[in-house]
Amino acid sequence: MTEAALAGLVFLPLLGACLLLLVPRQWRTALVLLVVVPLPVLLLPITAVVWQQQAVQMAVAGHALPLGIVWRVDALSLLLLWLNAFLLVFVGLQALTRFPPATPAGLRFWPLWLLLAAGIHALLLSADLFNLYVTLELVTLAGIGLIATSNRPAALQAAMRYLLLALMASLLYLLGVGLIYAEIGTLDLYEAGNLLEPGLLPATAMVLMITGLLVKAAIFPLHAWLPAAHGNAPGPVSALLSAIVVKVSIYIVWRLWFWTAEGWPMPALELFLGLLGAGAILYGSALALVQKRLKMVIAYSTVAQLGYLMLIFPLASLLAWQAAGFHLVSHGLAKAALFVAAGNILASLGTDRLRRLAGLDQRLPLDVFTLALASVSLMGLPPSGGFIGKWLFLQAAWEQGAWGWMALIALGGLLAAAYLFRILALTCFHPRSHGHSSRLREPPSRASLAGLLLALAAIGLGFASAPILTMLASAWPGVIAP
Amino acid sequence: MNLAVDSLIGLGLVALAWQAISGRSLFRGIVMFVVFGLTMALAWARMGAPDLALAEAAIGAGVTGALMLVALRRLVQLHPDQPAEPKRARSRLALPIALLAASLVAVIGLGAVSVDREPGRAGVAVMDNLAETGLSNPITGVLLVFRNLDTLLEVAVLLAAFLAALAVFRDQEQAPAPPRGDLPLVGALLAIIVPLTILVSVHLLLAGSHEPGGAFQAGAVLAAGGVLLILAGRLQPASGMPLATALPLVLGLLVFSVIGLAMMLTGAPLLALPGLWAVYLIEAAMMISIALTLVLLFAGASGLRRERP
Repeated sequence: MTEAALAGLVFLPLLGACLLLLVPRQWRTALVLLVVVPLPVLLLPITAVVWQQQAVQMAVAGHALPLGIVWRVDALSLLLLWLNAFLLVFVGLQALTRFPPATPAGLRFWPLWLLLAAGIHALLLSADLFNLYVTLELVTLAGIGLIATSNRPAALQAAMRYLLLALMASLLYLLGVGLIYAEIGTLDLYEAGNLLEPGLLPATAMVLMITGLLVKAAIFPLHAWLPAAHGNAPGPVSALLSAIVVKVSIYIVWRLWFWTAEGWPMPALELFLGLLGAGAILYGSALALVQKRLKMVIAYSTVAQLGYLMLIFPLASLLAWQAAGFHLVSHGLAKAALFVAAGNILASLGTDRLRRLAGLDQRLPLDVFTLALASVSLMGLPPSGGFIGKWLFLQAAWEQGAWGWMALIALGGLLAAAYLFRILALTCFHPRSHGHSSRLREPPSRASLAGLLLALAAIGLGFASAPILTMLASAWPGVIAP
Repeated sequence: MNLAVDSLIGLGLVALAWQAISGRSLFRGIVMFVVFGLTMALAWARMGAPDLALAEAAIGAGVTGALMLVALRRLVQLHPDQPAEPKRARSRLALPIALLAASLVAVIGLGAVSVDREPGRAGVAVMDNLAETGLSNPITGVLLVFRNLDTLLEVAVLLAAFLAALAVFRDQEQAPAPPRGDLPLVGALLAIIVPLTILVSVHLLLAGSHEPGGAFQAGAVLAAGGVLLILAGRLQPASGMPLATALPLVLGLLVFSVIGLAMMLTGAPLLALPGLWAVYLIEAAMMISIALTLVLLFAGASGLRRERP
């Protein structure tokens, strides 16, 4: 039962993508629904098993290690699978209105969308270093194709730049995998953790792999490609890219760091990675404050919020682990809501320049409400999911007396509040002369609803924190805090 | 003697790589890249990896070179007045990157010297279990039996790459038809070469079970035949994707997935193939998909139509 569910997670979207190219156009919408809607259902039996046994393991093609590939799901991957399922359903709701599957634009969009879903699922299931490389390629290329479905030159340019950097990053990762295989003769992530001893070659491999992944995750100062790519992609694509695609690279970094390289003495590197996170938070927030377009603000906010995920390295405690995992999910939901709302605004106004947004709260109340709700979670106000994540981070820093990190986390929250209130203030600002008689296309109500549901989920996550944190604790590899 | 040949190939690779990126014109760079690919294939063959050598020659040098040349032709068509010589922009980052890369090569080289030469544990396991599969080429064993999930996802990557390319070149005006093949020899030449490419690719496919070869190499060779037909004007890029194009395009992924999933119904693990016939069937389907993808990429279109001479 679990095995079938695991297979379904990867093969349902994969087959769906193939069949979309084959079936008559009037069946395409039904096919998309048939693929996306069962995905959360498939997660139920897996969740039940992980809840009881902490992890599910399955040898693909039935070959034992070190011969074959193993799928392994623990609470961390499960959490990301749930996040992805949520995003696929709700962001998909907006995508259905933006790219109706029966149209030629829909035919370009949906196969790539489903391939991206299959890639993310395969990545989260895989416990094999080389298999992770293949899934990363699938995720990256499908993501780039989705950015390119926007026909604006800026989007194509951003997609091209993303492609070049991502391919270079993939090669760095692959080189590292090759070195690790040469060293220990296995590709399994967990087995490698047992066999690999610190040394020149393994350390080089780790540095190469992590550098490549940090490029793909757009961690400061390797973020240069992200704002243009996420800011110019079509609305639903930006949402998925920012909410999950960049996170899965960080997820692999966590796996490498806390499982494969477990127990290596690397205090300087821990601090370095943490400082990268600090740089991301400060630089991303500062640039988000000066952007002139709504989607660019949100894109730079992604650069900043990704920085928090790096704080786990210097803090390295159970609390910080729970904080990072929780932040990952709550940011994913809030950011998806923001991008969905921004996409709706962009589609109905024809622009997302901030100075053109004045008075928008009266014209698109639902989308502005979504922006506000998601902002509440993103800047970490209680009782939202974002609050729990940042609160746990503060607690983790407090526990270790790490005042510098505490100050950073607090400052990051303040900066987020600054750039998000700037948007809200502009949208709710009413100039005396009502000069905004420009045409306005009401976004489809389903698209606005999709954003609202995501924002509500981001807030509601704060009320459902207990089971998630318990499960996350079960996946903590147990590195003792320094 | 061997050392002399190896160092000649090694030095040649470095020189060719330098030529490829520092060439005065794009065209020269592409030619150097193709030569680099062929030399690399030689290097793989010297290192006892004939499968890689075949793949490098067919895909790295052949198909990639053809794609680059057709891209160059598009560039020239779009901007006929632009000089073909790119401006030599000197980056301040060049030196640090070169130093970093050099130290990386040094570390890996040092590491490679120190690593024991025994085959890896996974490699030993492949050799121990190969007999059960009925295959005698360990590479095919890994690709189609032991780690077939990798291969299946690679085919999905290829599909994603093609769909991404399709998203980019949809608005491009179709390239004007190349000159019709009205030269007297073209027809006769095609009549010989195209069946030959089919024959070679089928041979590579079947040989894959016991000697170097396999779906990727076979697909690349088959694609070469398609590229030839496009160059001769017998196949023309067309818009729209009829079922006759879409089905072979996804055939590899579809057949692979369906067989792999069907095994679960019988209680076997996911992707545990039922026998050698399944390996051949999947490889044949993958070959068709790979070849068609490459040909469509070369044509820069979502479909093809036949043109009678």
